[in-house]
Amino acid sequence: MRKALVRGVTGPAFGARLAGLRQAVSRFVYGLTGYEFARHALEMRHELEAIFMVVTLGDLVGVPVLPPYYSLRLLPYVTPEIATWKRHLARRKEFWEKEEFDLHGV
Amino acid sequence: MNTLLAVVIGVLTVYLAYTLYARRIDRRVIQSDPKRATPATLYMDGVDFMPTNRNILFGYHFKSIAAAGPIVGAIVAATLWGWLPAIIWLVLGVSFIGWASDYSGIVISVRNEGNSLSAIAHRLISPRSRTILFVFIFFYLLLVGGAFVGIMAGVLNSQPATLFGIIVLVVMGLLLGQMLYRWRRGLATSTVLTVGITLAAILGGHWAEGAFQAFNAALDRLTGGAPIVTYFDPTLAGFKGAEAHIMPSFLFWAVAICIFCYAGSVLPIWRMAQPVIYVGFWITALSMVLGLAGAALAPLVKPEVAHFQIPAFRGWNPAMGPSGIMPLWPMLFVTIACGAISGWHALFGAVGTARQIENEADMLPIGGGSMLAEFLLGLLALMAISVGAKGGPVAAFASGLGGFISVFGVPVSYAVSLAFAAFIVIVLVVTQLLFRVMRVTLSEWLGDVIPPVRNQHVASFVSVGLAILLVLTGTWIYLWQLFGGANQLMAALSLLLVTVWLASAKKNWLYAGLPAVFMYVTTVASILVIAYNLYFNVYQPNLAAGRVVAIIGSGFMVLVSLLLVGAALFIGLDGWRAFQRYRRRPAAAAGAAAARA
Repeated sequence: MRKALVRGVTGPAFGARLAGLRQAVSRFVYGLTGYEFARHALEMRHELEAIFMVVTLGDLVGVPVLPPYYSLRLLPYVTPEIATWKRHLARRKEFWEKEEFDLHGV
Repeated sequence: MNTLLAVVIGVLTVYLAYTLYARRIDRRVIQSDPKRATPATLYMDGVDFMPTNRNILFGYHFKSIAAAGPIVGAIVAATLWGWLPAIIWLVLGVSFIGWASDYSGIVISVRNEGNSLSAIAHRLISPRSRTILFVFIFFYLLLVGGAFVGIMAGVLNSQPATLFGIIVLVVMGLLLGQMLYRWRRGLATSTVLTVGITLAAILGGHWAEGAFQAFNAALDRLTGGAPIVTYFDPTLAGFKGAEAHIMPSFLFWAVAICIFCYAGSVLPIWRMAQPVIYVGFWITALSMVLGLAGAALAPLVKPEVAHFQIPAFRGWNPAMGPSGIMPLWPMLFVTIACGAISGWHALFGAVGTARQIENEADMLPIGGGSMLAEFLLGLLALMAISVGAKGGPVAAFASGLGGFISVFGVPVSYAVSLAFAAFIVIVLVVTQLLFRVMRVTLSEWLGDVIPPVRNQHVASFVSVGLAILLVLTGTWIYLWQLFGGANQLMAALSLLLVTVWLASAKKNWLYAGLPAVFMYVTTVASILVIAYNLYFNVYQPNLAAGRVVAIIGSGFMVLVSLLLVGAALFIGLDGWRAFQRYRRRPAAAAGAAAARA
């Protein structure tokens, strides 16, 4: 009984559980503190990217923009973002209007 | 009764409600499936829809829902009816209704492509329900804005020792925003610097007390000591009612708070609202953690601050003013809102949190768990007011919480300063954010009909101006209860929506349906009682005395009450019809109606 108890407290399973708990607590604290800033930084970056996409590839959503030659040269770099960008634009009333961060489309 | 026993009751409530009831509903009714794709994984865009670890999301959701609600509600309820009814409602409310509302708000959104409650109501109940929801949101934000500005102006005016700390908090919030987003400093360094300076200013506020006292006195001399507005307040003189006066210094601080909120509403969120909230969060978190631990240890270490001092029960219908009524049912159930159940939680959960849920198994720990944790915050406020029976409600709360913090050896005067500041900080940061949300709601609601309100300055000015009008009527307890009624009604409507959705999916709807009916009937009744009180207890005495500002303010509040009841009746009727429609529909057709069950 005593040996089992000692093994339970000092064994690798206990160490793993302790590490898991530490990680959970640190993630909880991050959620309380830094997560909101990280989310907002992403939000701001996304807004800049959205403007860039409209300027370069606006013709995909019906906005006449740069000559297609330059759009084609940029295309390989922005291809991964196109689906996300279109989905975001679809949620807006107008393509230039930003969905308010703090209302999240209530 | 002592604080250790109350903490034990709280912890047991959380454990039993979560393991015996919430888990069972999650497993048997909702049948959450970790293998089912969530909107966050289906529509990941790196911004709104982003799968997030459950522990991070728990912290984020808890911080987003935990505000002044559980604290102010418990303070008012214990003052009116005693601590026993308050603790019973907190325990039963959170166990059977509160967690279910928060959890269901997330579930219904996750199972409906991450849509907001208003969008789901538009589809499942009726198109007009979305507009009605906007009306609700705007007016209940206005009510809480008025109540909070009134409370804060009163405390800042009467507690000059807290003023220095609050001013430094705002400056440090601005500095933090600059450090993080412009100077690109690390979060840890910026936090230590700004929170450390704010904390020092709060604790050292006594040194600046004399200067602020002289400043307030100079302001009051501007009118030769005469009040700017006089009104009849039924909550004064031990709830017998008396004349109240608004002095220039009170108005100055009310306007200063409104200017601060205006700036928080129109400036970019990273510049002011977000960093001020962040610095304030550390101050309140420190006070609450120390307070909760102190409350548990107090019976052993410092018994004199651990025993409840206020009466357990003050009566079923305590008198308030010459002709006011304050029946325990329905008024207790709207006075204590957020610690037991809150509509805002469901609203935020559906649009803020649900879109980041990585795995369906996370919905209960995040939604239900956060609500149960907030219940503990309400319990702490109740304990603080129950042990600190000195002065008015806010002063009693501060002296009670200060007593708990003093268990750790902090001198009582410093601990009480910290508690006062924590209260103001909680209310202040929430108020600036709610004016921002109010501005956005107003332009979303009326922007197409009245284009000028799409301008952020016009919308902010209208919101702040209406709140000032409510402040000048006094009677913040009525304002608070009206807000509580609107907030709880929102919770009832979100539960109604969940009930309709469960019926449409042919699932057992009782866990949401019964609380929805109880909350709906209770909140509509409470708003009618408040309208009655406002008319007979505030409007008529002021009308008899010919006080124009108070007449306009209280008349406006009566109209808002009736508007809320009318809106609730419309949406309730539409909800009932939709519920009957889905119940009669065969299972196969109903399955098609509900997007994902």
